[in-house]
Amino acid sequence: MVVRSRCINAHLQSKIIQVGGLGFTIAYAAFIVWIYATEPRTFKEVTTSAEVAAGTYQINQEQFNSALNLFRREQFRAARDEWQRADPAQRDARTQFYIAYSFYREGWGRLYFDQELFKQGVEAVKRAIALSSASTLTIDDPDLQMHTAAELKTELEQGLESSWSDVNPLKVLRTRK
Amino acid sequence: MRALTDNRSRNRALVDFVLLPFLFLTVALLGGLRIGAESRTFIFIAPPLVTLLLAVLSMLLFIRGGLLRLHQWVGSDLPPLTNVAHIWMFITIFFASAQAFNSVLPERGLLHWLFSFFFLWTLWNNQFSSFDARRLLRSLAILFGTAFVLKHMLLASLYSSDGGWLKRVAGTLLQGVALDAPGFAPATGYIAFFTLALYVAGLIVLAFRHDSHDSALALSRSAITKTE
Repeated sequence: MVVRSRCINAHLQSKIIQVGGLGFTIAYAAFIVWIYATEPRTFKEVTTSAEVAAGTYQINQEQFNSALNLFRREQFRAARDEWQRADPAQRDARTQFYIAYSFYREGWGRLYFDQELFKQGVEAVKRAIALSSASTLTIDDPDLQMHTAAELKTELEQGLESSWSDVNPLKVLRTRK
Repeated sequence: MRALTDNRSRNRALVDFVLLPFLFLTVALLGGLRIGAESRTFIFIAPPLVTLLLAVLSMLLFIRGGLLRLHQWVGSDLPPLTNVAHIWMFITIFFASAQAFNSVLPERGLLHWLFSFFFLWTLWNNQFSSFDARRLLRSLAILFGTAFVLKHMLLASLYSSDGGWLKRVAGTLLQGVALDAPGFAPATGYIAFFTLALYVAGLIVLAFRHDSHDSALALSRSAITKTE
């Protein structure tokens, strides 16, 4: 009787190791696939990507606010640097909207638009649109003249297009939004 | 005696279902990892198609050499969970093999294809040789060792910014030949060494697992004969 129960016990332990081992190694394999899919470049990026995957990712609010102050003082590059640090995974729609806006404001000129900055602005606003859970991304900021991502995207895309209106001398009278 | 058998079965389960898959998965993780020379950041290189082909040839070799015993590991007389766990182990060995090749293959350029060709040639020839598990292990250790020395020692010195005489000689001899290969930080070589050591260690554990299984089988057979 004792021998039989011991035999059952050993069999059970083996089964537990089998199931546990299988579960553990499958989870490990999923982690490896995820690592190769996300291609993090540093350990910090690994933790950020893990936070995104777990749904616990949050931007650094302090850095976001300091970037906003820089943006209002028209220090667009510095503002973008701060926003990129505040949202390293580029997963926050609001931050990406502001980054796009900073590209717009920096690239805007009375005589011509900086095409390179506008292109980067389009990329950022596209990211913002893709990330926004609401149907239209709206930012309530009285300092901005464009409050939706759609408006900003149109403005940036129009800046990239060439047309006859580009040679209109009255163009110099237009204002930055 | 019973306690000994219990311990043996527990340890075997640990080796089969935890240690070996974990070891081979670690090889799969590290085999594609490089460290950028300038940025010192991680670069993950997914296994190229040719490494999957090399892994298939290696698996065939493992089966021929008796390192993987397909008929003993998967069968209708085994419990479903055991079959699943053994198939899972096959999968981990397959990807570990692909990534072990990935770690010693130059990433691109003429050398990538030269190395791939030599691996394919060697593994294809080995398909027609007579092997046992130990000879196969020795052969694989030498194959990976040679490739490691060539890629991570000779070629790494060739592509380093202070390549010295080897770089100058090769530059003169191979003028006009595109040997395009990216440069990586020295840490990449250490990672590759650790990866290959783990891979070969995993295969050795696999071979010893069979040895202990065979001796246990022989022991039980002799016990049965004695009682008869």
